[in-house]
Amino acid sequence: MNRYTVINPHSKFTVINTHVHNVDGIAKVTGRATYTFDVVLPGMLYGKILRSPHPHAKIKGIDYSKAMALPGVKAVATGNDTIGAKQGIWRRYKDLCDEQLLTIDKVRYIGEPVAAVAAVTEEIAEKALELIDVDYEVLPATYEPLDAIKKDAPEIHEGFERNINVTRHIEWGDVDEGFAEADYIREDWFRCGGQAHMCMETRAAVSSYTPDGKLTIYHSNQSPYYMQGLMAGVMGMREGDIRVISPYVGGGFGGKFELDGAIFATAVLSKKCMKPVKIVFTREEDFIASKRRTPMFYYTRTGVKKDGTFLCREAKVFTNGGAYTGMGATALYLTGFFHSFPYVWQKGYRYDGYRVYTNTLPSTSMRGFGAPQAMWCSEQQIEWIAADLKLDPIEMRRKNSHYEGYEVPGQATIASCGINQCYDEIRKWIDSKGKLPKGHAIGLSACGFMSGGIFNWFDTPYSFSSAVITINQDGTVELNVGAQDIGQGSNTTMAIICAETLGCKLEDVKVHSSDTDYNPADLGAWGSRQTLMSGNAVKRAAEDAKKQLLEFAYAHSGLNIIYDLDIKDRWVHSVSRPERGWPYEEIVRKALRGKGGQRIMGRGFYTPYRKGMISPAYSYMLQGVEVEVDEETGKIKLCDSMTAHDCGQPINHLGLIGQLEGAFSMAAGYGYLEYMPYEDGKLMNPNLVDYKMIRAPEMPPANIAEIDTYEPEGPYGAKEAGEGLTNPTAAAIGNALFKLFGIQIKECPIRPEMVVNALKEKKAKTGK
Amino acid sequence: MEKKVLTLNVNNQDYELYINPKTLLVEAIRDYINLTGTKRGCDTVSCGACTVMVDGMAVKACSVLAMQCEGMKIVTSEGLEVDGKLAPIQKAFLDEGAFQCGFCTSGMLMSAMAFIKETKGKPTEMQIREGIEGNICRCTGYNSIVRAIDAVVKGKYAEGKK
Amino acid sequence: MSVSGPIICPVCGKKAKTGSAIDCARHMFGTGDKPHRQWVDAQGLSFIDLMIEQATTPGNRSYQLLADIIEKDAEKRQAAKK
Repeated sequence: MNRYTVINPHSKFTVINTHVHNVDGIAKVTGRATYTFDVVLPGMLYGKILRSPHPHAKIKGIDYSKAMALPGVKAVATGNDTIGAKQGIWRRYKDLCDEQLLTIDKVRYIGEPVAAVAAVTEEIAEKALELIDVDYEVLPATYEPLDAIKKDAPEIHEGFERNINVTRHIEWGDVDEGFAEADYIREDWFRCGGQAHMCMETRAAVSSYTPDGKLTIYHSNQSPYYMQGLMAGVMGMREGDIRVISPYVGGGFGGKFELDGAIFATAVLSKKCMKPVKIVFTREEDFIASKRRTPMFYYTRTGVKKDGTFLCREAKVFTNGGAYTGMGATALYLTGFFHSFPYVWQKGYRYDGYRVYTNTLPSTSMRGFGAPQAMWCSEQQIEWIAADLKLDPIEMRRKNSHYEGYEVPGQATIASCGINQCYDEIRKWIDSKGKLPKGHAIGLSACGFMSGGIFNWFDTPYSFSSAVITINQDGTVELNVGAQDIGQGSNTTMAIICAETLGCKLEDVKVHSSDTDYNPADLGAWGSRQTLMSGNAVKRAAEDAKKQLLEFAYAHSGLNIIYDLDIKDRWVHSVSRPERGWPYEEIVRKALRGKGGQRIMGRGFYTPYRKGMISPAYSYMLQGVEVEVDEETGKIKLCDSMTAHDCGQPINHLGLIGQLEGAFSMAAGYGYLEYMPYEDGKLMNPNLVDYKMIRAPEMPPANIAEIDTYEPEGPYGAKEAGEGLTNPTAAAIGNALFKLFGIQIKECPIRPEMVVNALKEKKAKTGK
Repeated sequence: MEKKVLTLNVNNQDYELYINPKTLLVEAIRDYINLTGTKRGCDTVSCGACTVMVDGMAVKACSVLAMQCEGMKIVTSEGLEVDGKLAPIQKAFLDEGAFQCGFCTSGMLMSAMAFIKETKGKPTEMQIREGIEGNICRCTGYNSIVRAIDAVVKGKYAEGKK
Repeated sequence: MSVSGPIICPVCGKKAKTGSAIDCARHMFGTGDKPHRQWVDAQGLSFIDLMIEQATTPGNRSYQLLADIIEKDAEKRQAAKK
């Protein structure tokens, strides 16, 4: 059904990259896994949020006396019940901490939380919302970045002139010299849509504030540590008095590592009435009130030599930031950086990015973090340049690509890069397909992505990842990590690294994560950081534990000093004479006795040092998508695909395949399905009937050619495989359309009418 | 509205409930019988997270009233295992990694079960895909799920096979 | 007339990257805080208009304009020191 081949497979490991089951599998396939969605606490109340119907308005007053009088209502909260802290995840930059979550003075988007109610049933809470009177003074609103920067546009945030929220500028070399030398220059304007994370589990939280001044929160999120820190800021509490538990999480995809209305409103309500309060967003709420992928307007101008050498590029981008910053500042930076990927620009590169406030749903990070948008523009333009110059698109890409050792000036050092072999494998795949049926074409797209960011805009004093390993008397292992499993399988990946390094079996490892009371701080699941960063912490902790264990083995063995010991598969042995050894459990018990009854504990932590401006390591890929298009209706059908992919050393085999196929489905959705039309700041399709999600019959085979390389910074050479794969598909689909019809679609997601119109236009121009 | 007494048979066990007649089947299962494996992901009968089997048919439990299912055999994901032994489809899901966040998994398993039960002979890949068309999965991209179902219908987990 | 040595930002004293006038201009845009904006506006330019022009037109005119002003200012300072 799907082909999976490995190029340059490395040495065989005992556990790494073997076909092991997900460690949470039994819980998930038997209905035992409990999510925040399922949490019920004794005495729990149900909460509902009152949302602004206006895109921009002053709040003159809120009267909730009638709501409080409704039998069953236990608390109503507004911004006036909070310390009014403006928060944001970019804690180091106070300007960008601009969101109150229960706003006090103004509403800035339709759906913004204005008040919240806690009652004994959800039904009563909902009724109570209707009894809250909010006196709004409606203000003029602006919805598009190019309108919001006009001189007469309404000011959304005080002090942000022309509604410009953040700007980012990246430049190296001499771009203007490059253009002067170029044989061929092409400039294009593109529009990149937003996208909803559409996690199967909507935003959900249960907060319990108790009379001892402590707050316990169950919350569906990607980083319990971030939530703990952020909640401390908005509640005026110490981090240590807040416990965040993130039980099984029903998807995150970049939307759940910031505070949301559910976690904040439940905490404020709970503090008011001293009872646990639960809020679960309806699917509609999730669409209109949880931040979305950042829509972008791209201008990109590229200069090349007639032999296809890339000389220079300049890109100018406006992003529609919506009402608040969220993670939009990082998306603004990363899109500009990845728009240069994976190519060397001989003369220079320049990027000017501008994030603009508008009165729409705030935009933030979503899997790919600005790179899917960047590639939509870059990879299509590159294909058009190849066509204009009559060059082979794969060879043109190849001659300009990154290579091991390349330094992106002032930004990054590429320590491992397998993209050259990616080109070979895609060429092979295309050749193997031979002549395609009529109406079919293959579109290509290359890209690369980061394996976690070096940034500390969160301003944490903790190392980015930590792990603690404790070995029990029977050899089972408690693995304590802060890394958060949101479905990508990090619990399994960490267990695999622990078992491989320590030398025990996978089933010996019990992974503890998702609870700030018991787990070390970790920045959490975003930016594809956990395999590399949390994985390194686990590897170091396991090495620490193994070293301590082996001390007792050495003592017990009485071996000559020239022999070293290791542990594999529960067998402690001499490396050069592996048949000479002892069972691991035996050494564990000796160690326990030797340490006066104390269990062996290993600790490890990891923070990247001096790794450029973005990331310690980058994944690379080339993807081909075979597409069939109905000329009459403009409907696109995905028939087949092949992704040649370099993630260094795969760790979690089933996890990797799952990430590739899953990312493909999400990226395809971005390319041709998941349209989010807004009218006057209102989302027109906040439901799963009208918002198009890819379904099983529409998903093509997602063949994989795994190119193994070795990334020195990653555990066992591993790099990311979580987000990079979301980057190429939209452009690949666009390029397939170009291959098939010669039409150039500049806006994504591609809707059928756009294809039909483009074909009509082409016919009118060329008569074909 | 006056509450009514209702007996629901879920996973081979009768449960007596005293509920509002407007109660949806999914609410009865999750909130009254406390079987939380079955989830909800939308309000428009679109996502399939609430799929259960009712008399062998895959049914979106948010689209029927609990009362309508009295006297029928209802099976949820918690009812697939027998005496701690996993059903073939569950083993297949583990082997193929046919889940990630797991939120859609209970519904997906039930759609898969119903499809396997009602399919005669060996279905094509597209038939399998159509069998789970009513279930959205945001994480896996479906292909691993299709591989799991395919393995079951091909007899990989038949009794007597290792 | 040209400036000898790297250009130091007249607002915050930072030497931006290579110390060229254009690197300093980019640093001013990148920082975008009140003091930097006020300095640019005080030179007879409009910070915000320059930024918007950079965003909406091809080429590097805004940076170049600001770089020229920064260079002239640096020359003046150097001359004043002598």
